Amino acid sequence: MTDGQVIKPTAIAVSGEAGRAGSERSAAPLQDEQLSHAEMERRIRLLQEDSELQKLHKQLVIGGVLSEAEFWATRKVSYWLFFFQYKLLDENASRKSKQQVGLRNDMFHVKPSSDGQSNKVTFNLTPEIIHQIFAEKPAVRQAFLNFVPSKMTEKEFWTKYSRAEYLHSTKNVVVAAAEAAEDDELAVFLKQDDMAASEARRKIRRVDPTLDMEADEGDDYTHLPDHGLSCDGSKDVTDSPYELYRRSLLQELNRHAAVVLEGRAIDVELGDTRSVAEALARSKQDDLTDEVSDGNINQERLDRISRMAEIDDLQAPRDLAVAPLCIKDPRDYFDSQQANAIKSLGDTLAGAKQMKCSLSTAEAYGSLRDYISEIKTSGLNDSIVKPEVALKVLNGLTQSISSTKYHLGKNPHESVLDRLPYVAKQELLHHWMSIQELLKHFWSSYPITTTHLFTKVSRLKDAMSQIYPKLQEIKESVQSDFRHQVSLLVQPMLQALDAAFAHYDADIQKRSAKSGERPNGFV
Amino acid sequence: MKFQIEDVTVYFPYDHIYPEQYAYMVELKRALDAKGHCLLEMPTGTGKTIALLSLITSYTLSKPSNPIKLLYCTRTVHEMEKTLAELKLLHKYQIQHLGPAARILALGLSSRKNLCINPSVVSAENRDSVDAACRKLTASWVRALAIENPNIPSCEFFENYEKAASDAVLPPGVYTLQDLRVFGKEKGWCPYFLARHMVQFANVVVYSYQYLLDPKVAGIISKEMQRESVVVFDEAHNIDNVCIEALSVSVRKQTLEGATRNLSKMSQEIERFKATDAGRLRAEYNRLVDGLAQRGNLPLADTWLANPALPDDILKEAVPGNIRRAEHFLSVLRRLVQYLKGRLQTENVEKEGPVTFVASINAQVGIDQKMLKFCYDRLHSLMLTLEITDTDEFLHIQTICDFATLVGTYTRGFSIIIEPFDERMPHIPDPVLQLSCHDASLAIKPVFERFQSVVITSGTLSPIDLYPRLLNFNPVVSRSFTMSLTRDCICPMVLTRGSDQLPVSTKFDLRSDPGVERNYGRLLLEMVSVVPDGIVCFFVSYSYMDGIVNSWHESGILKDIMQHKLVFIETQDVVETTLALDNYRKACDCGRGAVFFSVARGKVAEGIDFDRHYGRLVIMFGVPFQYTLSRILLARLEYLRETFQIKEGDFLTFDALRQAAQCVGRVIRSKADYGMMIFADKRYSRHDKRSKLPGWILSHLRDAHLNLSTDMAVHIAREFLRKMAQPYDKTGGSGKKTLLSQEDLEKMGNGNFSDMLF
Repeated sequence: MTDGQVIKPTAIAVSGEAGRAGSERSAAPLQDEQLSHAEMERRIRLLQEDSELQKLHKQLVIGGVLSEAEFWATRKVSYWLFFFQYKLLDENASRKSKQQVGLRNDMFHVKPSSDGQSNKVTFNLTPEIIHQIFAEKPAVRQAFLNFVPSKMTEKEFWTKYSRAEYLHSTKNVVVAAAEAAEDDELAVFLKQDDMAASEARRKIRRVDPTLDMEADEGDDYTHLPDHGLSCDGSKDVTDSPYELYRRSLLQELNRHAAVVLEGRAIDVELGDTRSVAEALARSKQDDLTDEVSDGNINQERLDRISRMAEIDDLQAPRDLAVAPLCIKDPRDYFDSQQANAIKSLGDTLAGAKQMKCSLSTAEAYGSLRDYISEIKTSGLNDSIVKPEVALKVLNGLTQSISSTKYHLGKNPHESVLDRLPYVAKQELLHHWMSIQELLKHFWSSYPITTTHLFTKVSRLKDAMSQIYPKLQEIKESVQSDFRHQVSLLVQPMLQALDAAFAHYDADIQKRSAKSGERPNGFV
Repeated sequence: MKFQIEDVTVYFPYDHIYPEQYAYMVELKRALDAKGHCLLEMPTGTGKTIALLSLITSYTLSKPSNPIKLLYCTRTVHEMEKTLAELKLLHKYQIQHLGPAARILALGLSSRKNLCINPSVVSAENRDSVDAACRKLTASWVRALAIENPNIPSCEFFENYEKAASDAVLPPGVYTLQDLRVFGKEKGWCPYFLARHMVQFANVVVYSYQYLLDPKVAGIISKEMQRESVVVFDEAHNIDNVCIEALSVSVRKQTLEGATRNLSKMSQEIERFKATDAGRLRAEYNRLVDGLAQRGNLPLADTWLANPALPDDILKEAVPGNIRRAEHFLSVLRRLVQYLKGRLQTENVEKEGPVTFVASINAQVGIDQKMLKFCYDRLHSLMLTLEITDTDEFLHIQTICDFATLVGTYTRGFSIIIEPFDERMPHIPDPVLQLSCHDASLAIKPVFERFQSVVITSGTLSPIDLYPRLLNFNPVVSRSFTMSLTRDCICPMVLTRGSDQLPVSTKFDLRSDPGVERNYGRLLLEMVSVVPDGIVCFFVSYSYMDGIVNSWHESGILKDIMQHKLVFIETQDVVETTLALDNYRKACDCGRGAVFFSVARGKVAEGIDFDRHYGRLVIMFGVPFQYTLSRILLARLEYLRETFQIKEGDFLTFDALRQAAQCVGRVIRSKADYGMMIFADKRYSRHDKRSKLPGWILSHLRDAHLNLSTDMAVHIAREFLRKMAQPYDKTGGSGKKTLLSQEDLEKMGNGNFSDMLF
C-alpha cells in the first residue's frame, strides 16, 4: 500500500496543465500521506453516501488488491461530479442533499373492514396517512391542535374522525347533519373545510393570469343572476340546509392531487402526530408571510407569460435551462427501465403468440407435413419464410424465453433478480460490481509500461481468479429451478473474465518471446 | 421579419412565417381594403392571433393618414391576457424596427373587480359587490358629502384621478390588466376609470365580447368608438350563443320575492325624501318630461349598466306620463311583480310570444307596451335620485325591469317559456319564467352597422356558410384555410368499442351501462400508462362526469389511474377549477404528468389551451349534444326551422360537433407541437356526424382509424408517440414548404403565391 509515490503518466499530464483547480485535484493521487483533511472528509462522505462503493472499497483497498490512490483515480469523474453537486447544495442547505421521497398518490379512503359478525368497523391509520390527512384537510389539523390532548386523547380524536369519514362514505347527508348537530367536535369533521377554502382564495391571486377563470366571472355580464340561459348542470340547490355537509369526491381529488404535487413540505419524522401537525401549520404560516414579497413571483410570472406567448418553431430555438440528471439509485432506475422495455416487447409480440396458441399439435403436424410434401414435389425454389422474418421471430422468441417475460408483465419493477433469494441476489450484484471495477483497472493498465503497472496487473489477476470459485458457489447454492437463470446471469461475467485472462496470457507469452532473459517490466 | 402585402409593409415578430398565416393576412387585408366584414376559419395551432394583430397594426402604420382602431374581442379575461402578451411581443419588434413612430396605446378593459386597486373595495366577494362598494365611495353625491364631512370615506385613487383631470393619461404602450393595476398604484390613480377614459384614445382595445354585444354594457363602454374601427371576434364559433344569451332573462320565485323587498325599501326611501328633500323628486320629474337624454351627462362614476335593449330601438322620446312620478312607477312595478307571480303558479308548461304576453299584461294589470319599454331607464333614474349606492342589493328589481324592457321592445325572435319544474327533477317544484332570445342577429346587428369591418374568426367555423345566415350579414371575404403540416403531428382517432368489443357511447340508453363506464375507464387507464405528460378528458356534462368519476372510484379504476398520473378535475367552483388548472400545469412542467377532467361547453373547454406537454392526448368521451328536452332549445330550433329552414337534427349535430372539435382542437399550438385526439363514441364513426368536423381534423383522420377498439388505439398511440419523438426538418424539406423565411416570401412575390400553397 505504499505505491502512492508511483505516478501514472496521465495523472502528471493533468496536474501539469490544469490551473489552480487542477493542482488541487491532482494532489490526492500524488501523495496519500499528505491528503488534506478536507479531501479525506470528502472521500469518507462519498463512501457513506454510497454503500456499494463502500463495499467495493472495503474489498479492494482494504483487501490489498488496489491502493487507495488507484481506487480513486478511476472514478475521478463521478467523484468530482458528485462533489460539484454536493457543493452547490452545501451552500444553500447542507441537510437538503438527501433526496426526499414524495407522497404516494393514493387517496386515503376509509374502506371500513368489518369482520362480518359484529357491527364493528375497523380503520387503519398509519403515520403516512395521518400526514396526508393533515396536509389535505387543514381544518382537521387545526382541530387536532385545538382538541388534543386538552379535550380528548389522540385515540379518541381519530375515532371521531373515522366516524365522520364513515358517515361520509354512506353518503347520507341527513344523518350526517343530525349527528353533527349533536356533537360539536364531530361537526368539525363533517362540515366543509373553511380553512381550505380561504387558502384557495389566497392562492388564486398568484395564479397565472392566462388561466385565471375567476377573473372571467368578474367580467361576465350575461351571467348576472337570472340573466342568460340556464345550461346543463347549473341547477344549484344551495338553499338546502344540508349543503354544508355535502362533500364531493371531485373536490377531494383536486385537493389530494395538489398536496401530492406540493410534496413533502416538512422535514419532520412522521410518527409524532402533534409535531407533524405543528410543522404543517407552521409551513402554511410561512407561505402567508412570503406573500408580502411576491414582487419577484410577479416578474417571474410575466416572463413566463411572454415566453408562453411565443410560437416556438417560427424563431430560432432558445436554450433552455438544463436540470442535471441526478439518479440516486442507478440500479433501481435502470432495472425498471429494462423491465418496461421487455414488457413492451412482449406486448408487440402478443399477436403472434396468440396465433401460435390456437394451433393444436395435430394441425401443426399436418401443416408441416403438407409443407414437406410440397417441397418434395416442387423443390426449394424460393424459401417459404423470408429469412428476415424468420430471424426476427427467432430473436423475439429467444429473448422472451431468456428474460422469462411470461412471469413478468404485471409489475414493471419485477425482474429476474427479484425472484432470486435475497442473499444470492446481493452477492451476484456485488460480484458483478467488483468484476467491473477490477476489469476497469485491468484494462486501463495496458499497455504495461512500468513495473508498477506490472505488479498491479498481477495483483488484479489474482483477485479475479478468486472470483471463479465464488461464482460457482453461488450457482450451486441456489435452488435447482433458479439455477438456469443464475447461470445465464453469470455467463457474461465469466466471459468477461475469460477475455481478460486470455489477454493476460497472450501478453505474457508475447513478452517472454520478445525478451525471455530480461527481468519483468521495463521502462 | 418584414414583408410586403400589396401596398402594406407587414412587420411580423418572428423569423419565419407559416404559409397559411401569410394567406390569412392577404385575405384579411382585402377585407380591410374593401371596408367590409369577413369570416375566416383557420385551424388552431397556426398562430391566428399574431397574424391578425400584426396585419392590422401594420395596416395602420402604412396608412397613417387614416388610422383605424382595433377592437379585439375575446371570450374570456385569460384570453385577453394572452392576446395582450402577443401584442406586447409584436409591439417590441415594431418599435425596434420603426422607432418611436410605431408607438401605440393598447390596453385591456375589464370590470372593476379585475381592475380595482383599493384594498377595501376589491376584497368584496363578487363583481356586483365590488361595483357597489366602489359606488359607495365614488358616487357624485357621496363625494359631495365627503367634502363637507371628512368622516365619510372616499376612494383616494378616484380622488387623485379626478384631481389630475386632463393630465391623467396613459403613456403609449401595451397594458395588460396587471400592468394597468401596477401603473395605477404607482401614480395613485384609479386604473378602472383611467382605462375607461383611455379607451377612446387607444389604438387597440382588447375586451370581452359582451362589451360590444351585450347592450347593457355596450351602451356605456363602446358608445363612443369611431366608425373607422376593425372589430375582431376571436374564437367566435360560439358567437351566436353569446348573442342570444345577452338578450335572455329568466325570472324565478326568489327573484320576485327579492324584487318585492326592493320595492318596499324604495318606497320607504321615497317617503323619507318627501319629508326631507321633496325638491329632488320634483326635479327628477321635470327631467323625465324632457326625456332621458341627459343620461349621457352623468358624472363618470354614476354610470350604471345601460338599457338592455339595443340603442336604436330606444325611441328618443319622453317617458310616458304615468310612470314619471316615483310613486306611480313603483306601483306599476308592484303590479308587474304581482302579475309575474301569478304566472309562475301555473301547473303546466306555457309558451307564448312577446306580443301575446304584453297584451295579457295590459289586459290584466293595465301596463302597456310603452311603459314596459321604459321600465329599465326609469328605474335607473329613480335609483340615482334616491341616491342608492348599494346596487348589488337591488339586483332583483333590475332583473324584473330588464325583462320588462326587453319584452316591451321586441315583437319577434323571442319567446316566453314558463316551466313549473325542471324536466329532470319533476318532483321538485322550481317554477321559472324565461324570456329567451332565438335570433342571434339581433344583438350583433348594431355592431355590423356601426363599424366598418368586423372580422369573425375561429379554428372551427364549419360549415362556414351557416354563420352568415345565423348572424344575418354579408361577408366580403369568407374563407376556410387548411393546415399544411410538416409531419402528421395530429392523430385523430374514433374509438367505437372497448377491448371487449362492446360498443361505447353516451347515447341515452347506453350512458349508464356499467360496461360503457368500465370501458371508458379502461381506455383512460391504458392511455395514462402510454402517454407522457398531460392528458385532457372531456365529458358531455357535469352530471355525467360526476357519475362516472364516482363509479371509477368505486371500481378502483381511478386508483390505478392515479398510479400513473395526478388527477385534476373541473368543478362548478371557479376558484377551485382555476387552482386545479394551475396545479395541472405545474405537474406537467415538472414531469410528474397529470390528467385533467373537464366538461364540453364548460368554462375550461371555452378558453384554456392544452398545447405542447400540457396536452399530448385529448379524449372526448361521448358526443356533447345539448340537453335536447330543454324547452328553450326546442323553441330555438323551431325558430331556426321557420326562419332559416335549418333542420333540427342538422343544427343539433352541428352544435355538438363544433363543441367536440373545439375541445380537441386545443391540443395543438404550432407545427412543432403534436397531439392525439380520441373521439370515444360509436356515433362518431357515422358519416353524417363525422363530416361536420372541421376539415383540418378530417384530413388527418385515416380510414383505418375510424372504428377502433381500445387495444388498437393504444397500439396506434404508441407508434405515433415514437414517430413524433424523431427529429425532423422544420421547413418541410422538399415538396410543399410549411415554413417560410423572408427570402422565400420575396422570391414568391404576390402573384403566384396562392398557386404554390393550395
